[in-house]
Amino acid sequence: MTARSQRHARDVRRGMVLTALIVCYAVIVLFPVYWMATMMVKPATDMFARPTVWVFEPTLEHFTYIIEHGFAGNLLTSFLIATLSTLLVVIVGTPAAYSFARFKLKWRDDLFLFILATRMAPPVCLVIPFFVIYARIGLLDTYIGIIMAYLTFNLSFYVWVLSSFCRDLPIALEEAAMTDGYSRIQVFTKITLPLLRPGITATAVLCFIFAWNEFLFAFLLGGSVVKTLPVAIPDLITTQGVRWGEMAIVGMVAMVPVMIGVFFMQKHIVRGLTMGAVKG
Amino acid sequence: MTAIGEAPAARSAKRREEGFWYPYILIAPTMITLTIVGLIPFLFTVLLSMLEMKFGQVKGFAGFDNYAELLGDGRFWSSLKVTFLFVIIAVPIEFMLGMIGALALSQRIYLRSVLIPFLFIPTIMAPIVVGLLWKIMLAGSWGFLSYNILEQFDILAGTSVFASPNLALYGIILVDVWQWTPFMMLAFFAGLQAMPVNPYKAAAVDGATPIQIFFKITLPMMAPLLAVIGLLRLIDAFKVFDSIFLLTSGGPGTSTESVSMLAYKTTFEFWRIGEASALAVVIWILFFLFCNVFYQVAKKKLKVF
Repeated sequence: MTARSQRHARDVRRGMVLTALIVCYAVIVLFPVYWMATMMVKPATDMFARPTVWVFEPTLEHFTYIIEHGFAGNLLTSFLIATLSTLLVVIVGTPAAYSFARFKLKWRDDLFLFILATRMAPPVCLVIPFFVIYARIGLLDTYIGIIMAYLTFNLSFYVWVLSSFCRDLPIALEEAAMTDGYSRIQVFTKITLPLLRPGITATAVLCFIFAWNEFLFAFLLGGSVVKTLPVAIPDLITTQGVRWGEMAIVGMVAMVPVMIGVFFMQKHIVRGLTMGAVKG
Repeated sequence: MTAIGEAPAARSAKRREEGFWYPYILIAPTMITLTIVGLIPFLFTVLLSMLEMKFGQVKGFAGFDNYAELLGDGRFWSSLKVTFLFVIIAVPIEFMLGMIGALALSQRIYLRSVLIPFLFIPTIMAPIVVGLLWKIMLAGSWGFLSYNILEQFDILAGTSVFASPNLALYGIILVDVWQWTPFMMLAFFAGLQAMPVNPYKAAAVDGATPIQIFFKITLPMMAPLLAVIGLLRLIDAFKVFDSIFLLTSGGPGTSTESVSMLAYKTTFEFWRIGEASALAVVIWILFFLFCNVFYQVAKKKLKVF
């Protein structure tokens, strides 16, 4: 055996071992998710069994309960709120992101820092004034109220991250279009927007996920008429006991759009979650 | 500058032509919206923190009484301690494990592109669902980990980690580490992928050991990125709420009561809105400082913003 093929064999072995280690890590990390998934169809007697029961007769009783208790309504509410708030963010935020990336604005740094600070503000601090103001003007437990509250973290996030995508676009194309007699607005709609579409989609998907996952605002500013999926979870801790199977179903359903988003957007997720610091 | 003697109308027409206002018109809707949903609520909180309130009714002007009361409240200091302990244990663990994971991931790994999406799952899950997941895994007596691991080692037979005043916070830390280590790993991995190859080639020619390469090349080159991601995680970790809410509600006693949890309880359980607002203002100022540091580091060192 030559030295070279020996080295190759060693590299392959090393790769296999490392791959195996990472697979092990992934399995351990994802085991709780699998375990929760089994809870959806596990009869109560097997859930609480000691020692742990691995094989059981699946039951649909949890699904029946959850459907009878307005679960479909929560799902619809979650979907409506996440979609509407994301749409609003895209419409309002896209021009701003472009402007921050392209033009020398006066006080640009201060404005940009203000946007960042709005994003980073702890939700629990925001929910206090929102609650007091909403109670006065009757916006508690309304779609408008919750969608407005979501603008705080999602609009700021969207503008910040999308302007990082904007900066990647070559300015030469826009300048060429200007010399061809395009107006500034035409440059934006005909040149920039089409090029920016992947960035807009990726950032909007993340906004949708944040709105979909959000708990605190939805719980404190909504709750009875407007009740999203995450808010339905603690409600299943009832005075008659904790409805584990039902909670597992809500939890798993809440994960579905997020997982779909991850599989389509994996390239851009790191970039979004690091506020544009890492180009994934 | 416009020429002297030019009519004001002509000057403003020229400005319009040059598109002077254009960038400002583009940002106007966003800035107005963020003023309404961000700045005004903040200023309103400052106002609330100066008022004397009982059960949502304004009783008078309190000046800085709410702040004085807050600073004299042992519970405030205990919540700060809990939060700092949480952040100071959880974030470095996530950071270190994430770095190790990223280094492993950047080696020759088979099926990497298939594995990566799975690693994203914990990070992008709703925190409340993460809480639920661990409520199930660590439930007293029948929880999968409680029974199969903890009880086999004679720890906490029959009860949950989250019912123990000494261990509950470590339970919450475990949950956070579970959720955010993969994020750190993937963020660092993306950073490693973007590094230039030349220094590594030179190091290989010089016969540097992997450890030398890591400390002399990788770490210094990645430092700004590590700082930015670390700060981001730090800021987020300070806000921990959802998982605590579902797992312990701050208990037992006040052993897992973070500042966010305390602000929540002061408002929505004790209805002491004035004092809660004072707490919120204090947290807010703290966050603003963090934010500023994050922005400066990101802008100057990383040159991305």
